[in-house]
Amino acid sequence: MRIEVSRTGGFAGIALRREVDTRGLPDAAEWEALAESALTGADASAPGVPDGFHYRITVGDRTARCADPQLTEAQRTLISRVLKEGA
Amino acid sequence: MQPRLSNGPGPVLCTIVPPQILDRLSQSDDPLLSGPARRTLEADGVRRARRRLTALATVPAFRTASGTPPTTPHRTLYDCRHGTDLPGHKVRGEGEDPTQDASVNRAYAGLGATFDLLHTEYGRSSIDGNGLPLTGSVHYGEKYNNAFFDGEQMVFGDGDGEIFLDFTLAVDVIAHELAHGLTQYTANLVYEGQSGALNESVSDVFGALVKQYSLCQNAREADWLIGAGLLAPRVSGVALRSMKAPGTAYDDDVLGKDPQPATMDDYIQTDEDNGGVHLNSGIPNRAFYLLATALGGNAWERAGHIWYDVLTGGELAADAEFAEFARLTVAAAKTRFGAGDEAEAVVKAWSEVGVPTTSTPAAPSPSVD
Repeated sequence: MRIEVSRTGGFAGIALRREVDTRGLPDAAEWEALAESALTGADASAPGVPDGFHYRITVGDRTARCADPQLTEAQRTLISRVLKEGA
Repeated sequence: MQPRLSNGPGPVLCTIVPPQILDRLSQSDDPLLSGPARRTLEADGVRRARRRLTALATVPAFRTASGTPPTTPHRTLYDCRHGTDLPGHKVRGEGEDPTQDASVNRAYAGLGATFDLLHTEYGRSSIDGNGLPLTGSVHYGEKYNNAFFDGEQMVFGDGDGEIFLDFTLAVDVIAHELAHGLTQYTANLVYEGQSGALNESVSDVFGALVKQYSLCQNAREADWLIGAGLLAPRVSGVALRSMKAPGTAYDDDVLGKDPQPATMDDYIQTDEDNGGVHLNSGIPNRAFYLLATALGGNAWERAGHIWYDVLTGGELAADAEFAEFARLTVAAAKTRFGAGDEAEAVVKAWSEVGVPTTSTPAAPSPSVD
């Protein structure tokens, strides 16, 4: 399963996009459970805040949007792991 | 040592101790940065989705016993300890001694410098004009590469050390976040498209003004950079944005090249970043720089007053585009300084970046005398 996180906005306005392919990963089941939780908690109406990051999470053929600081813990954890930096 | 803040009329210019000096004084030990603080996931999982923007109307004004807005700030700094619950743990209140944490002290000084400029130069008590307490949280998240204003308070990350350093390092970044609050309480520019780019630009303008005011720099001495000192040493660049020369702040293998346009010819149409609010802000940013340097002297005086008058004057629509803002700056210059050099310089500055100043908000209705 392909998990992609795209981040836009932020003080610097620099976009960042990274993805993880869980096929063959020893912890694939954990990744997929986390991704499922992140999608479930998505709130497309989250307006975001000035200078806040906006995120687009794509899991397989499903997409969810969310924005700082209104992330669920699952979203924050997934975003942080995929982008390999703080979220 | 703390920054001296104005307590009334009188010469207060250049009396603020620059945050950089406070920083050096307090940089000795930082157990929070050196400690093994690691983010732990909250057991209860779901964060409360706070709709802070809609709660603003309930924020109480902070007034003195006599009922007049206070002339000194009321700051409170919090430490998120690398978590994401806001505001975090209180670490420094107004008038309290500096802590051992340089991030806290920088944010405290930066909020004070912004309050001081607003009060001394523009006669405004805090961002709402009523002495609103100023709240800042530092050490937000883990290696968090950002700072933002959440509708109620400023939030600063530590940076990952690879690309960005601590976001409290640059006083203009602190003031930029606070200026989002100023905009929210005044013109309330919609954070999307051209009005969003104006919102961003206003924050950069006041960020730069607070930095110049703190350093006692006039318009020609200033570097007109936003976020100088914020990029990690390995990054090829001098800052995040340049108001003087948008598009030249960095050119790096990882970050890419600074994408800001400097004129309307290069305006960027995009769905990302709320319609490129951090990109197209380069256009009004450069207009302000051109005006301030054409007028000379301290940028916060004439040029700053013109921008402040438009932001707070009540005529600027929340969804204003560049041309409307530009037109109002010409009107504000004439109102404040008469039809002279200032108004001419405003027209010329906008002209250089390709924004017309002669448009009217609606078609004139025919006279029916």
